[in-house]
Amino acid sequence: MSDLASRITAPEASAAPNQDMGDVETAQNDGAGMISGGSGLQEVSYDVEVSLNDLQRDSTNPLGSAQTFEELGLPTEVLQGLMSMHFQKPSKVQEKALPLMLANPPQNMIAQSQSGTGKTAAFVTTVLSRLDFSKPAQPQALILAPSRELARQIQGVVQTIGQFCASLVVAAAVPGAVARDTRIEAAVVCGTPGTVMDLIRRRQFDVSQLKVLVIDEADNMLDQQGLGDQCARVKQMLPPTVQILLFSATFPDGVVKYAEKFAPNANQIKLKVQELTVRGISQMFMDCPDESQKYAILCQLYGLMQIGSSIIFVKTRESANEIMKRMVADGHKVTALHGAFEGGERDALIDEFRSGRTKVLITTNVLARGIDVSSVSMVINYDVPMKGPGEREPDPETYLHRIGRTGRFGRVGVSITFIYDKKSFDFLQQIAEKYQIDLIRLVPDDWDTTEKEVQRVIKSSRAQSGFNPSAK
Amino acid sequence: MAGTSPEGRRWTPNSRSSPVRSPVPTYRSENRNGEMNHLEALMEAQSIHDDVREQALKTLDDYMHSEERKKLEKREQGIKDRQRREEERLRHEKKLRDEEERLRALQAQTVPKLPPKPVEQPAPQPKPSPPNATALPSKDDAAATAQQNAAKSTPPVAADPPKNPFQTVPPKINGHTSPAAPPTAAASPFAKPATSQPANPFATATAAAAAAAPKPATQASAQTQPAKPPAAPDVDRYVQIHKNLKKLRALITEHAKTNPQLKKLMGEMRREIRKSLGQLTGGKGANKKQLESIKSILMAALNGQPPSPMIDPSSFVVDRREPVEGALHNGHELPALFLYLMNQLGKAIVNQFINECGAAPRSADPVGVVTAQLFSAKEFLWRGKSLIDILMAKFRIVCPVVFGYRGSDKTEQGRLRLGWRKDGGAWISEQQHNDRMMGLGIGYASIALRDFSKSSNINPWPPSRYWKSMANIVNTPPAEITDTQCIVLKSMLNQHEEKFINFYGSAAVAALRRALVEFPNSAPKKTPGVMGLQVLAVMYKRDMGLDLGV
Repeated sequence: MSDLASRITAPEASAAPNQDMGDVETAQNDGAGMISGGSGLQEVSYDVEVSLNDLQRDSTNPLGSAQTFEELGLPTEVLQGLMSMHFQKPSKVQEKALPLMLANPPQNMIAQSQSGTGKTAAFVTTVLSRLDFSKPAQPQALILAPSRELARQIQGVVQTIGQFCASLVVAAAVPGAVARDTRIEAAVVCGTPGTVMDLIRRRQFDVSQLKVLVIDEADNMLDQQGLGDQCARVKQMLPPTVQILLFSATFPDGVVKYAEKFAPNANQIKLKVQELTVRGISQMFMDCPDESQKYAILCQLYGLMQIGSSIIFVKTRESANEIMKRMVADGHKVTALHGAFEGGERDALIDEFRSGRTKVLITTNVLARGIDVSSVSMVINYDVPMKGPGEREPDPETYLHRIGRTGRFGRVGVSITFIYDKKSFDFLQQIAEKYQIDLIRLVPDDWDTTEKEVQRVIKSSRAQSGFNPSAK
Repeated sequence: MAGTSPEGRRWTPNSRSSPVRSPVPTYRSENRNGEMNHLEALMEAQSIHDDVREQALKTLDDYMHSEERKKLEKREQGIKDRQRREEERLRHEKKLRDEEERLRALQAQTVPKLPPKPVEQPAPQPKPSPPNATALPSKDDAAATAQQNAAKSTPPVAADPPKNPFQTVPPKINGHTSPAAPPTAAASPFAKPATSQPANPFATATAAAAAAAPKPATQASAQTQPAKPPAAPDVDRYVQIHKNLKKLRALITEHAKTNPQLKKLMGEMRREIRKSLGQLTGGKGANKKQLESIKSILMAALNGQPPSPMIDPSSFVVDRREPVEGALHNGHELPALFLYLMNQLGKAIVNQFINECGAAPRSADPVGVVTAQLFSAKEFLWRGKSLIDILMAKFRIVCPVVFGYRGSDKTEQGRLRLGWRKDGGAWISEQQHNDRMMGLGIGYASIALRDFSKSSNINPWPPSRYWKSMANIVNTPPAEITDTQCIVLKSMLNQHEEKFINFYGSAAVAALRRALVEFPNSAPKKTPGVMGLQVLAVMYKRDMGLDLGV
């Protein structure tokens, strides 16, 4: 307990002892208990590395890992909410992270898990379990996300899982959502850092009783100059006792250091680099003879397999609009979303796609991260994602986040990246090497053959995805 | 605001020029450095400044006003929306309350009289059903007998206590004209065409299945088609059809090898069907183009474009069909390509449910609509009846629980019976399996709960099938309840409760109570699947005011 006290009073000081946490790579023999007995049925498993903070390390039973939601001792209302969302049992990240996050006294957490493995549900569950429902208008938890779409999406998840919590109010603190002279009267606030900062400064948002701060897509948030500063400033305005939870699918090394300072003395859940990509996603690339044929090839893809919704990532707004025009002519219902739209317009467009009124979303990078439309079964990189000045080098993180829009919750998803010359091929090759992905090559010559190949790849990755996090 | 700033500059030269100043440029005047001149210039600058400022303030003010107005309008809109929603909810609640009242009134009657039904059945006088034991879909003999005993122990129809909703009299007919819909004189909705054998609801249920396509199972054996055990129930016939479809595929692929034109077009047609089905969305008229496109492909195949061998469709239907008057296709053969594409269509439908609807249940409905339209379209009937058995053969394989099969998810055999898929030799994960079952459950409902009362076509898979599938699940002996069944049942019900109640009225409410309260309560273990059903009951109560007595 003295450790905790020191953390409260001098957060910076306690950051240092954290450095040695790497050595407790507690091999997760407890988690393996899922291997169900008797019938010889194979269950899923994958490795996560868990590092405990000092406090946890001392305790006799360091890692409660929960096999069922019931074991977690969640409030009935929260449990019902999870059930109503068809959550059958905790996913790996939930199984590991929830007991740590729910433990008392509250401890910080830095958690990394592949896209679509239930991170959002994990922190939302924690947030809801920590609320005092006798004070519904008093902000008690703050969730920060990098974009308004993501903040609104998280708001939706909080409302869904919390649907049985009678007095729950969830507010969105995104640009334009809170009128100037009104106060936020909600137990949970989901927002973007800039807006939240302004609201706290203008005293519209009372943070005095805040218990939990969650930062989603934390690497992105802490890494970017502007967002990082805003997050830090927001944190400074919060009570020092607040529990800090950082979540992301990717945590580049540079960011981890900073994250450890940001969330002192945190428990950590990490993945090995090779396990970053979800194996349920069949990753392919289409070898186009030249750039001008990319469009015709794109349209053929929809006949190769049964597609629910799909997302097409392109480089420029112009090509987004052009592709949209041509796909509509082909009978598709399409939404194009890019930087030219803002605020409410963007909300309306993403809702159109999310609700299923349109099934193809063409977008630039604005939506690479976090947006969860679970019926997305195909992601197309119409252009290889690039970064840096003049966009001259390939961008592996963005690639990962993009393809993570499909294959959500252990479902089968397909990603196809278009290349058309040596340069684009090399760029893609570099990305593939970094994550050790076997990209399957498709050629647009004989569609019967391509169709067979695609079906084969989907089948084999479905078999492979047995090793996947059993999300949900 | 940006638009107004140039305006601010416009008046500088004329309106504001100082009267004292001479037309001579100031720099040439003698006292250009004099104090007066300087002050004058200062004053002028000041006044210009003031004007600009004033203008800016005014613009800002305007802008604030317009913003304020917008905000108010938006809020007003929001309130209106809420009002509308609230009203809608009230309407819903009222409706459900009425239904409930009716139900209670019904329950109050201790001796339920049989309200004679307006029977619109095209008299599917089924021949004596197959022997009871074989009518039971479960392969598990012990279970079969147990269930049968249970079934038999309940007294026959007329004397039924109204406790079990599946044996209560549906108080009203669903006003729906499909052939197999309304029960004739039997008390149980399952017992519909069961006049010949009212004692065993299971056997009669099977007969009910035959009602839409009236044919006693025994006749099926008389068919020319291969290897069907004489007394096998319809459901197993589906397995046979599924095998026949595989043979058909092999046959046509073989043909295509020597016929490049067929090969090319066949692939294109198949992909076009798949794409069109993937494009379906909700909203009225949204899917016209897709429906037309699929229809035109099927028509082309029917008309022999490209030509393909003719084959006997009777291998792909459950019943034995004779030519009927007025049918478009009465011959004993249809183009193989057409049947092949119907098969591909069925496959695409099932895959769409699996791949999309587990994640996005809402997208099941448009698929169901298009399915019902295509399989009921007169052009695509054979001898006056739908070829939907091709689709159902697929359903039988991927989602056997709607046909009454069950098994333990802890054993290999059990999993096979539950339709648990294997990939690469290993069972797919529980998560993946559940996801498939969710999609298939709602998909099945989206096909089976279609209202054909305004259609001139015959419902290829009428609501009675839905009722029967539901009964198959909820009548499972408690010890044999599995999560697979619970998940399918829940997704069959969720979002379809309104349609179900519209068709079956109070009987539907009673059935819902059986499915969401009694059934899960009877389960020995409160697994997540079982709890999912109970939560659904709670949600009905909260969202629609439908109190099932949780």
